[in-house]
Amino acid sequence: MPGLMLASATIMSRARQSGSSTVWALLLFSTLVLFGATLYAIFVLAPVEQQMGVAQKIFYFHVPSAYAMYIGFGTSAVGSLLYLIKRDAKWDAVGVAGAEVGFLFWLIVILTGPLWARKAWGVWWTWDPRLTTTLLAGMIFAAYLALRSMGEAGEVEKRFAAGLAIFGLIDLPLIHYSVQRWRGVHPTVITGKGGGLESEMYVALGLSFVAFTGLAILLLWARITVERQRAQTANLRFELMHQ
Amino acid sequence: MRALVIAFATAVAILSSPLAMAQAPDTAGSTADSGTADPADERAAQFVGVTGAEAERIPGGTLMLAAYAIVWILLFGYLFRMRMMQRQTADELRRLGAEIKASGGS
Repeated sequence: MPGLMLASATIMSRARQSGSSTVWALLLFSTLVLFGATLYAIFVLAPVEQQMGVAQKIFYFHVPSAYAMYIGFGTSAVGSLLYLIKRDAKWDAVGVAGAEVGFLFWLIVILTGPLWARKAWGVWWTWDPRLTTTLLAGMIFAAYLALRSMGEAGEVEKRFAAGLAIFGLIDLPLIHYSVQRWRGVHPTVITGKGGGLESEMYVALGLSFVAFTGLAILLLWARITVERQRAQTANLRFELMHQ
Repeated sequence: MRALVIAFATAVAILSSPLAMAQAPDTAGSTADSGTADPADERAAQFVGVTGAEAERIPGGTLMLAAYAIVWILLFGYLFRMRMMQRQTADELRRLGAEIKASGGS
C-alpha cells in the first residue's frame, strides 16, 4: 500500500511537472526580463527626485513589495478559509505558502521603510497609521508561522493558524486606507490626493509592480509545491509506521 | 522550521533598534515660515524630478544601497531556504522508498 502511494505520488508529480513546466519556465523568464527592465527604468530612465535625492529610488521596490505582501497574506487568508470549509490539505499548503511569502515581502517593506523614513522624516520610525497597521499585519502572520513551525502541526494547530490568517486579512484594507482615512506622514503620491510622479517615474513603478507580481506568483507556486510534497511525505511516513 | 524561528528572532532584533529610536517626525524646521508651502507636506504629496548638477548634490546613496541590498539578500535567502526544504523532502522520499523495497512492499 505505501509502495502504491509512493508510485502514484511520483506519477502525479511527474504529470503535473510536464504540464506546468512550460508555464513555469515562461513565467520565470518573463519575470527575470521584467526585473532587468525595471532596474533599467529605475536607475537610467527615472530622474533623481528634487527633495529626496537618490534615496527616493527605494520607493520603486518598497511600494511593489507592499503590494506583493498583500498578495501573499491575501492568498494565505483565502487558502485558510477554504481549508476550514473543505478540510483539504492542499488548501492548508496554500495557507502556509501565502503566509510565508507574504511575510518575506513584509520583511522587505518593514526594513526598507525606515531607510526611506530616515531621509524623508529624519527618524527611523514613527507611529504613522500605515506603519502601525503594517507592523500589526506582520505580527499576526508571524504568530501564524510560529504556530506552524512547532514541529508537525496537528489538526487543532492548523485550524487555529487558519483562523489567525483570516483575522490578518481584516488588517489589509486598514493598511491600504489608513493614509486616506487618518492623515499621517506617509507619502500619497500615487493616490488621488497626491500631485503625482514624473512620467518616467510612473514607468519604473509600473514595471516594478508587474515584476513583483510575477515574483510573488513564482514564489507562491514553488512554496505550495514544496509544502504539498512535505505533506505527502509525512502521510507516507505515517502509513509506513502503522502498516 | 527551526531556521524560520531563528530568522524571525533576527528580524525582531533588527526591528527593535528603529522601534527603540521611534520619535515624532521632524517638522519643526518646515513650519517656521507660514507663508510658504510646507516641504514635508509637499514631499508627501508629490515627487519632482531634477537632473544634472543639482541631482548630484543630493545625498542618500548609502540608504538606497542598503535598501536594495536588503531586498536581494532576503530574496536569495528565501530561495536558498526553499531549496533546502526541497532537498530534505527528496532525501526523505528516497529513504522511505528504500525502506519499502527492503520490506518487500509493492
